[in-house]
Amino acid sequence: MLVQILNGLVYGGMLYVLSVGLVLIFGLRRVVNFAHGGLFMLGAYVGYAAYGIGGFWAAIVASIVVLGIFGIVLDRLVFRALQKQEPMVTVLVTFGLLMVLEDFVQSVWGKDLLTFTTPPSLSGTVAIGAVSFPVYRLVVIAAAVIVVGGLSAWLKLSRAGLYVRASSVDPVTTAMQGVDTEHLSALVVGVGAALAGLSGVIAAPLLALSPSMGSTILIESFIVVVTGGLGSFTGAFVAAMVIGQLHNLGVVFVPNIASMVPLILMVGVLIWRPAGLLGAKA
Amino acid sequence: MPAATVNRPMPRKRLSAFPFVLIAIAVFGCILPTAVNSPLLLTLLTSATINGILATAVGLLIRHSGLVSFGHAAFFGAAAYVMVLALERTGISVETVIIAAIVLPTICAFGLAFVMLRVSGVAFSMLTLAVAQACYELVMRWRELANGEDGLAVKLPNRVFGLAVGVFQRPDSMFLICWIILMIVLLGLWFLGRSHFGTLTLAIQDNEERARFIGYETTVPRAIIFALSAAVAATAGVLFSLYNGFVTPDTLHWTLSGDALIMAIIGGARSVWGPALGAVVFFFIRDAAGGYTEHWPALIGITLILVTVAMPTGLSGAFALVRTRFGGARNG
Repeated sequence: MLVQILNGLVYGGMLYVLSVGLVLIFGLRRVVNFAHGGLFMLGAYVGYAAYGIGGFWAAIVASIVVLGIFGIVLDRLVFRALQKQEPMVTVLVTFGLLMVLEDFVQSVWGKDLLTFTTPPSLSGTVAIGAVSFPVYRLVVIAAAVIVVGGLSAWLKLSRAGLYVRASSVDPVTTAMQGVDTEHLSALVVGVGAALAGLSGVIAAPLLALSPSMGSTILIESFIVVVTGGLGSFTGAFVAAMVIGQLHNLGVVFVPNIASMVPLILMVGVLIWRPAGLLGAKA
Repeated sequence: MPAATVNRPMPRKRLSAFPFVLIAIAVFGCILPTAVNSPLLLTLLTSATINGILATAVGLLIRHSGLVSFGHAAFFGAAAYVMVLALERTGISVETVIIAAIVLPTICAFGLAFVMLRVSGVAFSMLTLAVAQACYELVMRWRELANGEDGLAVKLPNRVFGLAVGVFQRPDSMFLICWIILMIVLLGLWFLGRSHFGTLTLAIQDNEERARFIGYETTVPRAIIFALSAAVAATAGVLFSLYNGFVTPDTLHWTLSGDALIMAIIGGARSVWGPALGAVVFFFIRDAAGGYTEHWPALIGITLILVTVAMPTGLSGAFALVRTRFGGARNG
């Protein structure tokens, strides 16, 4: 049972790192990045390429840096250029971008599944009570804890974090107070994309790499973001943890209908609270 | 974005040429199989017409509720799977199964609408994608239910609605059937746009609060539009399974939803006929792309980006613009 809960934490942690990027971007730009799953996938592949050159830690650094830069470019070329349009325009453009990214990765690395081996220093298992648990999975949990801690500290303690929080409540008023939301947004989209890259690379040893790996997890991160309440950081955290557990229990106990379990939770939450667990007005 | 902005065409009071033009196009389509003796072209047109019906469903939702669905394959695939499973597992007659395959997804959509319509536009789009993909995962994983990735052959009897089953599987005759159904759907939706109910949904889309203020219940009409849209998508799913004779989880995959949405955007969802036109254009581009089909997703992704940014009203919008500019101020 302990192993199940830990596995749930692993998946929930990955989902959180991915989903919080969506929340960050939504906070600043009021749009949902449908290409986010593509960034996750790209992060995994960039990591895969860097792993061959410099090992596991190089893979992590490379995908954070590459995806961070990609995010800044994305903000400049897409989110900023389209900010005067309906939010749906940006959604459609990022959706188109998702297709382009999948095709790009497929052209470079091929369609076949690739395996990203667990680094030797982190493979093996550790005994927790009576059961043994893979070390690497604990590393994933640790990475998620670091992201949770680091992000909360940044949002709560730094000035930029204050601006980000203000902006996710009301971007227009925040800009009127003299905050340069344009610069802030580039930073935030960069951070969001870097987190997507990070979650992709840490998930890579657990999943097989395929160009469509992003669209699968994107769906569950959407459920997390909507269940938690669009734009709510705490909501995304709570929802990711709950859905991580449910996903895992679903796969173990009701494998046939596992994909429906998070959806049922979401339907329940939306009936109870239309704006999501911790969402403000929908 | 054609969703909810300026210049929404209001229902016109005076007699419109639309039904007559539609009948002319319908007749043109009906003589096409006899005039064109190319099975290849007819196969292409049949697929385009079936997908055109699906795209019309997506367009209907955009036009009457401003909501953009990224998951209409859910209803298309659900209908196809109801067909295949009911024919295999039960002894119900094929005619009843076809009706059930359209009615069941419609009822599900109506129920689901009351939950999904609680969230705002962008979140709604996310949920449509999530619901459809959950259905896809369901049929992929639950092998005992639907044989997973390998799919199932549709066990059709010899006669369907009194016609030999081959009629539904030959491109020339099936094209006629699909074409006529598409025309009936378009005519029906055109009447819907002019009806009191259609006008009410436009009003709700414009300003829901105000519509409520003047005494209208606003959730049920939006749920009805969602259900109608699902019914049209399910019709396409039924035609697909009749024509193809084989159903795989691809009928539920997000790429199909995405294709349908892209067809609707390319054609322009602001007019009734735009999405269907978009489907035909989509299939001809794909056919012309021929050797580049390996990069088809990127090609279509770039097309989507360009059309969304540069031509937000799609082909039908561009056509209306040309007509107002050169053909007098006829409201297109």
